[in-house]
Formats: sequence, structure tokens, C-alpha cells
Amino acid sequence: MATPSLSQTKTQAQVKSSRRLSRLKRRDWLTGYLFVLPSVVIIGIFGLFPIAYAFYMSLYRWRVRQGRFIGLDNYERLVGNWYGGLMFLAGIGVILLAHWLWTDAFKSSGRKRFIKALAALVLISAGVIMALGWNMMSTAGDKRFLGSLIITFYYAFGTVPVQIILALVLAYLLFQKIRGQEAFRMIYFLPYVTPIVASAVVFRSIFSPRSESLANQALALIGIEPQRWLFEARPLLEVMFGGQLERLGIELSGFWAGPSMALVTIIMFGIWTFVGYNVVIFLAGLGGIPKNLYEAAEIDGANGTQQFFNITVPLLSPVTFYLTVLGFIGTFQAFNHLYVMREPFARGSVDTASIVIFDTFYKTNNYSLAAAQSILLFALILSLTLVQNRIFGRRVFRG
Amino acid sequence: MDNTKSNKLTGTYAKTEASVATSKRIRTEPYQFRLVHLPIYFVLLVGAILAITPFFYMISTSLMTLGETINRQLLPAVPQFDNYAVAWNEARFSQYFLNSVIITAVTITGLLFTSILAGYAFARIEFPGRNVIFMMLLATMMIPGTVTFIPNFILIRGDVIPWGSWINSLPALTVPFMAHAFSIFLLRQFFMGIPNDLWDAARIDGAEHARFLTSVVIPMSKPVVMTVTLLSFIASWNNFLWPLLVTTTPKWRPLMVGLWTFVTEAGPETQLLMAGAVITIIPVLIIYFITQKQFTEGIATSGLKG
Repeated sequence: MATPSLSQTKTQAQVKSSRRLSRLKRRDWLTGYLFVLPSVVIIGIFGLFPIAYAFYMSLYRWRVRQGRFIGLDNYERLVGNWYGGLMFLAGIGVILLAHWLWTDAFKSSGRKRFIKALAALVLISAGVIMALGWNMMSTAGDKRFLGSLIITFYYAFGTVPVQIILALVLAYLLFQKIRGQEAFRMIYFLPYVTPIVASAVVFRSIFSPRSESLANQALALIGIEPQRWLFEARPLLEVMFGGQLERLGIELSGFWAGPSMALVTIIMFGIWTFVGYNVVIFLAGLGGIPKNLYEAAEIDGANGTQQFFNITVPLLSPVTFYLTVLGFIGTFQAFNHLYVMREPFARGSVDTASIVIFDTFYKTNNYSLAAAQSILLFALILSLTLVQNRIFGRRVFRG
Repeated sequence: MDNTKSNKLTGTYAKTEASVATSKRIRTEPYQFRLVHLPIYFVLLVGAILAITPFFYMISTSLMTLGETINRQLLPAVPQFDNYAVAWNEARFSQYFLNSVIITAVTITGLLFTSILAGYAFARIEFPGRNVIFMMLLATMMIPGTVTFIPNFILIRGDVIPWGSWINSLPALTVPFMAHAFSIFLLRQFFMGIPNDLWDAARIDGAEHARFLTSVVIPMSKPVVMTVTLLSFIASWNNFLWPLLVTTTPKWRPLMVGLWTFVTEAGPETQLLMAGAVITIIPVLIIYFITQKQFTEGIATSGLKG
């Protein structure tokens, strides 16, 4: 053990070990790549590649087999009028401007009212611009597709807010110190785990237009005549208040007529299915709120309602936001139950965008037009999510 | 041990813990009935009745005679268990049921294989480009199925990659679902929480990653593997749009498409339809009731099912 040789062997060992290390490292790399390879291949082929390929398809004539290159013709056919489309998009931009003005009003010290009024004005003009653009599009464009976007809009906005509010209330009540919490949670969750095709089949039967159907019998209990439910293409407003509206001389048409009764029935089904899921997530969120906040509020003399609106609602806002985003993405691409519950008698009044895309593909066999429709729907979902993030994402209370 | 592990898990998985904690807390506190609880119970009960009525309707109708369904009885006078046998035979459920079981089993096996490997690599192996690849995979979760189904159909038909037509075959129904970004994400989150000391010890003993994964990591990760299994079971069993496209004959048609075909063929015989619906639902319900807690909380962590 002579000192000079020791230092020598040490450096040798270091060189050796670093070489060994890099060899080990490279082995690690190889293992890593090998491990992720199967997933990357499958997701790459069936998850990532389709986006690019859908766009590629939309640029060709493609009925079952690939045809010639036609550029943006498919999109033009759908949108009808590019200027109308641009105006519609500009309208969405103006909404963001109005929102910016509105939040700005709270920051500035003076002239609050003036800026708020300005924001309201800008918001109204945004609506006008969007309506004008939409009109230009729908006179020249694909009526069925554009109409399906309105139906999708109704479906999404009829389902998501209602199911979130219901779920919040149920979750809040469940969270009180009561018996049977787990049993209730299990029951509420049941519709969500049930295969949706099967439950939609059951709802078709419950909401059948026959006077003996369960829904019509329930109406009979409160003295209302049988309804046609899923077979009813007329707007719900017309079905309910048709006579009164006529007497008042109001005629609702197009967008303002509102969803058909058939669509409202499907909305009820959607709410029935997804409330339980939202309850479970809200319950998880409620568990995360520190208990001492409620105790402090109680000492300060806040009652239950005050506690609910001043502690529970704000502290749950991240969960609510998550559920809203999820709900909109889900409703915008909902397919299975809509497909099962649609009846010819509803005359297309329940055909959301995904149903129309499927029809264009499966029935009309116009693959490239369907691809163009799906790309437009995707763009719409993406921009909606972005706007949602921009407007509400910041208001979320994050502790 | 479970607690120390899960403390390290972040994001969606943490929610699970929160809800577990709350249900525990509520159970341990002594229950005291107060009058103010009455309206709460009332609202909750109304909700529960609304949630459960369609099930009651389905089961009760499935046991009626045709006459009873037309005269709309609430309950059958004599339960007609025969309806199930009739529906089973008329809808050719023997074949569809078996198909669904095979499709689901093959999909889950494939998915667990790919996702466990990938989740492990993303969590515990350093290699260049790891984060970029992971982000790319996660981004696919944003893509709606309505966009992917058209190109995928072209792919399956063998137009793009010349592997022949997969229409009406088992691979068409399973391979596209054998990897899923969210499952990889869940597994990765869990694997990241496994202490490094274990890996150091294993490496000193001369174990490789593959060995460490199979003999240490997987046995430790039963809960998360269970969650992924349940999620993919539900997704696979309920799958409808894709099988509708790629099965034109009964050969590989799964139960959900079979039920739909039955609906379009069976016409007004409601009791048979309801019996068919019960048959397709039962496997899911059995698994739900057995693994209730795991199931609820596992699904609560995900955003599956659109």
C-alpha cells in the first residue's frame, strides 16, 4: 500500500467507473426506449397520426376511395361564406375584448360605470357581429352541419350547468353529518357506471310517445296530457307555450326557437347519467376544504347559506372549473346515447355535430367532407376550451 | 405504507385520498340525528329515487308478459324469468357476450402490458427526450374521438399501411385501445412515489429494470393497476361507435352493438328489450358492487367516458 500507487489506482478506478457508468447509462436509455416503444407506436398510429391524416383527407375528394385534390372546397361548402366565418370568429374575439374591459373596470378607480357600460355595449356588438356572420354562413353553407352546431350548443348548455348545480347541491348535502352517505353516493354513481347504450335503450322505452309509457303516466298524475318526447321535433317552448306565444304575436324561429322537446329529453338523460360523476368529484373537493374555516365562520355568526356561498363555493371553484371544461368537451363529442335515442320523427332536431359527422361518413360515404366537419368541430372545441380558460380559469380561487 | 406512498402522488390522484379521508371521518364521528337533517334527507332521497327509477323500471319490465307491458303494470303479477332466455336466444347474446369478454380481456391485457412498461420508463428511467415523448402522449388525450375515427377506419381497412383489412377481426377491436395516455399517466404518478432506496438496493443485488419492475414495483402497485384495469374494462365493455363501424357481421360483434341490433329488430316487445339491457349491464354492476370503493374513486380520478 504505497502512497503513489494508491493515487494511481484511484484515477484508474475513476476512469473505469465513469466508463462503466456511461455504459450503464446507455443501457438505461435503451431500456427506456424499449419500454415506451409499444405505447408510442400504438398511440402514434391510432391517436396522433389521425389528426394530420384527417386534415389530409379533407383536402381531397374522397368517397370511400381517395379521389383528386380539391383544396379547401370541402370547408367552403360547409362554411358557405368565408367572410361570414371570419365575422363570426371576430365576434368571439370581441367577446374577449368585452371581458377584458369588464375586468379592467374593477381595477380602475374612477369611471367604473362608464367602462362597465362600454363593456356591455361591446358585448352586445359582439353578439350582433356573430349573428350577422352566422347568417351569412348559413345562407350559403351546409345547413345540416351548421344547424348541428346550434344543436350541439343547446345540448352542451342545457346539460352542463344544470348537472353541475344539481351535483354541487347533492354533494354539499351528502357532506353534512348524515347517515348513509356511502349508500347515497353509490346510488348516485350507478347511472354513470351503467353502459350508456343500455341505459339509453331503457330511456327510449320510458320516454316513448305511447300514453302508457312511464313518463306519460307520470305526467298524467299531475294532469298533463301525454307528450311525444323523443318523437317531438317541435321546440319545447312551442310545445309548452305555443298557444300563448301565438296570442302575443311572437313567432320564434331558428336559433331563438330553442331546443326541440326530443333534445330536451336527451338532455334530461345526459343529466341523469352524469350528475353522479360530478357528485363524486365534488365530494372529493369538499373533503379538501379545511374544517376550521367553517368553525371560524360559525364563531363569526355566519349561517349555513352564508357559509355555503362564501366558503364552499369559492373554495370549490377549481373543481367546478375542471368539471365544466370536462362537461363541455364531453357534450361536444357525445355520440352513443344520441345515436341510440334519436328517432326519425325528431326530424334531425337532436342531430349534434358528432351525429352529423357520423352520418356524412357512414350513410353518405363522403369521407372527406366528414373529415372536414370533424376538423372544424375539433377547432371549435379547442377554441372553446381556450376561451373558457381565459375567462374563467383566472377567476378560479387557488388558495 | 400506503399513506407515505400516496403523499408523494400529486394532482388527480390526491383527490382520491381526500375523498377516502372524508368518508372515514364521517364514519368515525358519532351520529346524532337533528331535526334540520329532515329536509336534507328528503332532497337526497328524491335524488336517489330519480337515479334508481329507470333501473327499477328496467328490471320490473323485463319480468313482465307482453300484455303487462302494454297495460303498464308497475310490477309483474308473476315474474317471467323466461324473458331472459328468450332475449338471450333471439338476440344471439351467447356469441356477443363471448365476443365482448374476449375483446375486453385481450384489450386489458395489452393495455396493462404497454402502460406498465411505459409508466415505469417515464417515472424511473432517465433517457433523452423522455419529457417530450411523455407530453406528446398526454396531448393525445385532448383529441376527440370524432376526429380520429375516420382516419382510423381508413387505417384499419389497410389503405394507408398495407397490412390488409382488419374489418371484422379481433385486432381491429382491440389493438387501437391497447395503449392509452391516461393509464400511462396514472401508473407513472404511482411509480414515481416508490422510494429510490428500493431501486438502489435492487441494483446492488444486480437486478435490472425489468427484474425490479416485475418483482418489486408491480407487487407494490396493486391499487393503481386495479384502477387502470377497471377503467379499461368499463371503456372496453361500453365501446359502441368503433365496433359499430368495424364489425359488419356477427362474428366479432360485441354485446353493445348486439344490443343495438336487437333494439332495431325486436320492435315493440319491450319486456325482451329490457331483459337484453339487464343482461348487458349485469357484468358491470357485479364488478361495481364487488369493488365499489376502488371503482368509485378510481373513476373519480379520471375523465373517461364522453
